Amino acid sequence: MSSSTQTQGLSKYVTLISSDGFEFVVLREAACTSGAIKRMLDPKSGFSEATTGRCTFAEIKYVNRFSLPLANMDPGPITDIGDGIILEKIAEYFCYNFKNRDREDVPDMEIPPELCLELLMAADYLDT
Amino acid sequence: MNPPNPPNAPNGGAQRPVRQIRGPQSALTDFLASHNINANQIRQDADARRAAALASRQAGDDDENTAPTPPSEDEPVTIARKRESKAQTAKRKKEEEKAIAKIKASKQFQRKRAAYGSDSDVTDEDEAARRQFEESHAPLPAQTENCEICEKRFTVTGYSKKGEDGGLLCPKCSKELDKEQGAERKRRKTAQGRQRRQVQSNLLDGIYPGAKDLMTICIETLAKNVDIAEDLGDLPDSMVNRLSSILSKRRLMNSTTLNLFLKMGKDTINIHEGAKLTADDYIRVFQWTPTVKNLLVKDGIQFKNKVMDHLIDCPVKLESFSIHGSNLIDDDRWNRFLQEKGSYLKALKVYYTDGHFGDEQLELLPKTCPDLKILKVSHNQKVTDAGIAHLANLNKLEKLTLQIYKPTTSKPYVKVIDAIGSSLRTLCLDAVHTINDKVLESIHNNCHNLTKLRITDNEVLTDAAFATLFTNWSNPPLTNINLSKCRHIDAADPRDNPSSIGLGSAGFVALMVHSSKTLRYLDIHSCRHISLETFESVFNPTEKTYPELKKMNLSFCSNVNDFVVQSIFKCCPNLETLVTFGNFGVRDVRVPKGKILIGVPTAMGMQIEGTEDGEGRVI
Repeated sequence: MSSSTQTQGLSKYVTLISSDGFEFVVLREAACTSGAIKRMLDPKSGFSEATTGRCTFAEIKYVNRFSLPLANMDPGPITDIGDGIILEKIAEYFCYNFKNRDREDVPDMEIPPELCLELLMAADYLDT
Repeated sequence: MNPPNPPNAPNGGAQRPVRQIRGPQSALTDFLASHNINANQIRQDADARRAAALASRQAGDDDENTAPTPPSEDEPVTIARKRESKAQTAKRKKEEEKAIAKIKASKQFQRKRAAYGSDSDVTDEDEAARRQFEESHAPLPAQTENCEICEKRFTVTGYSKKGEDGGLLCPKCSKELDKEQGAERKRRKTAQGRQRRQVQSNLLDGIYPGAKDLMTICIETLAKNVDIAEDLGDLPDSMVNRLSSILSKRRLMNSTTLNLFLKMGKDTINIHEGAKLTADDYIRVFQWTPTVKNLLVKDGIQFKNKVMDHLIDCPVKLESFSIHGSNLIDDDRWNRFLQEKGSYLKALKVYYTDGHFGDEQLELLPKTCPDLKILKVSHNQKVTDAGIAHLANLNKLEKLTLQIYKPTTSKPYVKVIDAIGSSLRTLCLDAVHTINDKVLESIHNNCHNLTKLRITDNEVLTDAAFATLFTNWSNPPLTNINLSKCRHIDAADPRDNPSSIGLGSAGFVALMVHSSKTLRYLDIHSCRHISLETFESVFNPTEKTYPELKKMNLSFCSNVNDFVVQSIFKCCPNLETLVTFGNFGVRDVRVPKGKILIGVPTAMGMQIEGTEDGEGRVI
């Protein structure tokens, strides 16, 4: 976590944008759970994300396209699952992780099995 | 409704007729009569009681809104005492008050009040004292008492439970009470216990308690729902491997789930627990995934001759083959495998083969596996000195791990290290009980590329030899060092170590000087001759820092204490786990947040230091 002097002047919240245009505003500190987002937002990196505080994830669509359905689902709905759903779950995880940062008996976050593979790919990409 | 008289109520005898002997009677009757017990009277009482109970049940059936027998609360007391005179009552009350006053004054009572004062629901002192008085006057086991709920007479036992008002309950009522609240209380207790155990189990696995990372949650969810998964898609190999380990840990790897991991085009298959797989399943691995190059099978009991025959005859070209627990493959099959497929092999790891895979196979290796870079022969019961000596011909070997059960000597090890030591990056010699300083000397002279060194369970190597090994060694600093259980053993005189056997102070200092910059993993458990002063100077936070150190095991190094542990946390900024089992000087350490300390010998658990972000806590 960057020190308080570095984060001064940066907004407390950042915006995550999915490839299909959904925006999620989350605490900067919570979003930095992800190694990839942390590096994106690092003021020293000089990425545009660091100055605007907006991260667009066109890549998560890539993840979505390549994942395969689980057996209990017909292939129909998988195309309807927007990237927003995945990113929403990721934003939810950031909040869950931030809220429970000082506890040890944390109940696991619920993940719908059908989102599991896509979320796994996204988690791998985001390094969380 | 008048409740029935208990047959042996204290004053019940007053009603009974005077003892009369009419005609011949049995000794028992006479005896009972002499004790004022009349069988007729008992029968009459019982009949009356039954009739009353029946009447009350019928009344209850007639009017559902009222409870069947609504007894007033103080009824049992009144029955027992209704026949005592006023003087008797006054006397009893006086005695009761006296006893209660005595209880209140007693030290034991005061102590109890002090200990439970805050959280006890009994706030009133008088009430508490009265309760204790009543408890002490409760009937003893084998006496009889009326149940608090159903008022039936029953025999008190040591297991009789107390009701809400302090009275005892009959077995039937206590069973019902158990059903109502007991199950719930029990469940809550076990759930808490399980949670605590889970936290401790995670700590032992090096997982810091708290929210899991998203990847772990996803993989665990996937493992939970593995029965509905049909295909894993394009998951990266590292994640497929993690999924495989979680499934194996839960013993879920069977013929069905194995299919998820078999796919044309894949080159890596890891089966971390194959005990449920049959020989045909293993054959299927090669049929469905002929492209496999790296195969790992643990607990592969059914990976036997039949499977080996298939592997030898099919076109699969394994580059890395790790097999664990397959003790049904005979030496002929191993020979054939090495001859037919050895030329592709770059890594061969053979664990727990019991009576198979011996010197003969090790002799074959240099001829049949010219490209072999990694060799592990572990928990092997067949290899001897002669077999180890053959490894000197494996010119390309980079990683060597040996754990041989038969007693071995230094000679073959020295021969191997002299011959191929210069190219070795990993050298692990486990359970080498009797090898001597010559091996260390040979390592010092020949090995210049080691990153990992493990020599464990030895009682001959000396401290001086360890010091020489790490002093002016041309090898760059190591990352992994394990010299656990290199120590002096003498049951008759365990404390003294006159000839400085084992890794001691000098060796440890030399080791830390040599490898301090890159050392990531250090295990010196049971090296108990390292002195407290050495630990204090090596882990002196003002002078020394070990930036890469992640995991350290200092168990059974009896000189490690609170101060040393505290200093270690200060001079190893990236330390994740510190293990200190059996060090009784470690009692009361504040662990910095994010670090794990395992093996504190108190029931207290790990105490985490408070920071500006949050309070300290105990896990």
